[in-house]
Amino acid sequence: MSQSDPAAIFRQEAQDLLEQVEQGLLDLAHRPGDRGLIDAVFRGLHTLKGSGAMFGFDALAAFTHHCESAFDKVRKGEAPASAELIAAVLAAQDHMRALAEGRAASEAEGAALLAQLHAAVAAGDALPASAGPDETTWRLKFSFPPESLANGLRPLPLLDELRELGACEVKALVDGVPPLAVLDPTRGHLGWEVVLTTCQPRSAIEDVFIFVLDDMTLEVEALDAAPAGEESASAQAPDAAAPLAAAGPPASAAAETANEARAARGGESVRVPAERLDELMDRVGELVIVQSRLKQVASASIDPQLRGVSEEIERLAAELRDTMMVVRMVPVAQLFNRFRRLVHDLARETGKTIDLATEGETTELDKTVIERLADPLVHLIRNAADHGLETPAQRRAAGKAEAGHITLSARQAGAEVIIAIVDDGRGVDRARVRAKAEEAGLIAADAVLTDHELLQLIFQPGFSTAQAITNLSGRGVGMDVVKKTIEGLRGTLEMTSEEGRGSKIELRIPLTLAIIDGLLVRVAGGRYVIPLAAVEECVELPPEQDLRSSGRRLINLRGQLAPFIRLRELFATGTEPDPYQKVVIVSSGQERAGQHRVGLAVDQILGDHQTVIKSLSGLHADVETFSGATILGDGGVALILDVPHLVAAGQRQDAELRAAS
Amino acid sequence: MQQAQDMHDDQACDVFQVLTFDLQGETFALDAGLVREVIDLAPETGVPGAAPFVDAVINFRGRVIPLADLRLAFGMARGEPTRDSRIVVIEHEIEGEPTLIGLRADKVHEVTSIPLGDTEAPPRVGLRWRTDFIQRLAKHGGELVVLPDLAQVFATRGGALGAVVPFAPV
Amino acid sequence: MASVLTVDDSPSIRQAIKIALGAEGHQVEEAGDGAEGVAKAAAKAFSLIITDLNMPVMDGLTMIRQLRAQPAYAGVPILFLTTESDAAIKAEAKAAGATGWVTKPFAPDQLVRVVAKVLAA
Repeated sequence: MSQSDPAAIFRQEAQDLLEQVEQGLLDLAHRPGDRGLIDAVFRGLHTLKGSGAMFGFDALAAFTHHCESAFDKVRKGEAPASAELIAAVLAAQDHMRALAEGRAASEAEGAALLAQLHAAVAAGDALPASAGPDETTWRLKFSFPPESLANGLRPLPLLDELRELGACEVKALVDGVPPLAVLDPTRGHLGWEVVLTTCQPRSAIEDVFIFVLDDMTLEVEALDAAPAGEESASAQAPDAAAPLAAAGPPASAAAETANEARAARGGESVRVPAERLDELMDRVGELVIVQSRLKQVASASIDPQLRGVSEEIERLAAELRDTMMVVRMVPVAQLFNRFRRLVHDLARETGKTIDLATEGETTELDKTVIERLADPLVHLIRNAADHGLETPAQRRAAGKAEAGHITLSARQAGAEVIIAIVDDGRGVDRARVRAKAEEAGLIAADAVLTDHELLQLIFQPGFSTAQAITNLSGRGVGMDVVKKTIEGLRGTLEMTSEEGRGSKIELRIPLTLAIIDGLLVRVAGGRYVIPLAAVEECVELPPEQDLRSSGRRLINLRGQLAPFIRLRELFATGTEPDPYQKVVIVSSGQERAGQHRVGLAVDQILGDHQTVIKSLSGLHADVETFSGATILGDGGVALILDVPHLVAAGQRQDAELRAAS
Repeated sequence: MQQAQDMHDDQACDVFQVLTFDLQGETFALDAGLVREVIDLAPETGVPGAAPFVDAVINFRGRVIPLADLRLAFGMARGEPTRDSRIVVIEHEIEGEPTLIGLRADKVHEVTSIPLGDTEAPPRVGLRWRTDFIQRLAKHGGELVVLPDLAQVFATRGGALGAVVPFAPV
Repeated sequence: MASVLTVDDSPSIRQAIKIALGAEGHQVEEAGDGAEGVAKAAAKAFSLIITDLNMPVMDGLTMIRQLRAQPAYAGVPILFLTTESDAAIKAEAKAAGATGWVTKPFAPDQLVRVVAKVLAA
């Protein structure tokens, strides 16, 4: 039902309009004379006001009205689209957004924003009186041509309509009425004088005579000096909302033809509520699970028909899954666009000149991933603007261009999307990082670290380079949270930096979120899934190598030694190992030489398994060795291993054992 | 929606609508509004490295939900599963997210009302359980009934953590 | 009972009109801008057109002029929506050929009355 409720449609429309207006304003900041942009911004504000009033968003309509008037002046050439004006309207965006969402917004804030707006539009705008009903008294005098009665005019309903506008005193003007003897009843001889007191605008009065205005004489005179207010939004709007909500049945037909209309409009796209997409995704996920059960049943069966059908369904399920992945893909442009505004504001706040360049906006990512990337990226950009870039004076002194550059880029590389934030600022001050880390107790004073390891310290919890928690980068969102969020998306984060030249942060996010291919293994009584992307190969563990030794556990891999972790021990299963253990060689995700390939010793390898990832609840958020769970064909649950964390845990356990022995 | 809200307010004022159940001989009760379903014991999958209080997950209608053992929070033995053992699936907020959680129960009784007047705040001393784990104590049907403070129990992982702190990544 | 075309770049307004007039039994179709309005009006005979003035691609006044230039729409009632109590706009719209106006915001029954009046005439 909510889809056909105009007020609900308006809410969405309002958000779109506000975004359009914002983008338009940002573009206008670069091209202040562009008429097309000015018209577009004006139109957006105009629609926001008009439709807002229509559906009961009175505060929004009233507020937007001022922005619209200001831009009307620009449109008419009475005022320039100055930087102050643009900034004032931009500042008002959040206030309008709050009003459009129906959230309470501070009156004081609104008044301050409007003051800023009016200051920016030099020629003072005569503020119309507030939305309170403004009653005006009018004297109307009108009469109709004699033959109009014969033409179907009926004066009485018109008088009724006038009465609907407000209190009326009607006086018939009978001067033109001839004596009864010569009176022709088919001809009109009467005129009227009406004194009407109404809070409706003048247009409503003229409205009554809309169709006969040409053929009559009408004088309308305001008897008060008070200005008739602008639209009397408040009185009308609340009524509008209620009856519309009651009109049910035409709704579905309405929705259909609406879709038709949209599609017909050169329709490249169809709007689908995000929830529906998520539902669809869940269905596909369940289908994949059931399909793998079918596969199990079929492979245990000797019926060739059953196997044939099972294979076909497997293929179809895979295709459906791939299509779903694509359906949820959304270009990063929508994310990048948000940042233009952010950088604009940052520039003003820091007093630095910042140029934001974006590349690869058409690169696509899963919708949920984009949403979860928003906050970390905001933090990284703020960080670059706040800490990375120098002030114009500092840049000049360093021989750099005054404007600092931040480049936001996205590109697809294989099964990943790589997002990079590059700034040409001062780079990371190694000495300061070192000092901070020692102070925070993250490293010992004499610890030897590679440059890479030093930079990684920035992402440790407890580390903070901000001397003061500035308003920009503060809020308890630290680099460690950024890293954690990225890892929660099964992605990685790398930072490189050159002192004096700038820094680069690269995020790698895997393309698919919900479904991955995995290797199913058994350790004691539990089953686990290892993401296939991390698996390099599987080998047997010869019994002689499985004996506990005092040194590190290493396996001989074609002449190379690779360490391995006994998952049985890591998981403290307390069971005896199966006689012929298998070792799954995985890439541990660690850059250090010699640590790249690690073995995971398991009791049994059960085979490939397409995994629909179910996240673990908040109660298991701290168990980092598992990134999620999946439901197997027999209804059982298998935990999905997070290889980098698992390997790290194994190494820790290893170190502890060695220290103890 | 408004109606439900009003009912809830009534509840907060006058009476607790609860589901009562047994844990190792003691009677507990929780807000009936939280309960989604009561199911028989299901195959459990252990989660190595998790706090003992919540060391397993189960498949509940295609979702993987944690299995929590309030007995551990209240210092009781785990006990062997019996014919009466059940899992009470509730929906509770964990770190801001509505989450389905399975609670072990040795026996589930009924949904019943306990008037506010029949309950009292837990005494600060003298209880053999952690006071901060108990929301109210009640006398019902001649028995002592414990209404646990689920939020606190979950936040401290049944007492595995000293206080409510967010987790630092390792 | 009449076929109505509503032309407005605001989906919520179009929806509101559709619901209000649909409840009266009218058949309402939509267009998002003046150009689309002209296209739709050419493809089907409407008994009434309700249009916004401020729209992208082609504005309302231009659309009204174009429609009036076609014999099929020379006499069809065309109402325009306006938030303004601006006499100049109304005069311009009238000169372009509009039959009448409806002020925004409007209550559904207001719209219904105006439409009934216009269609009866």
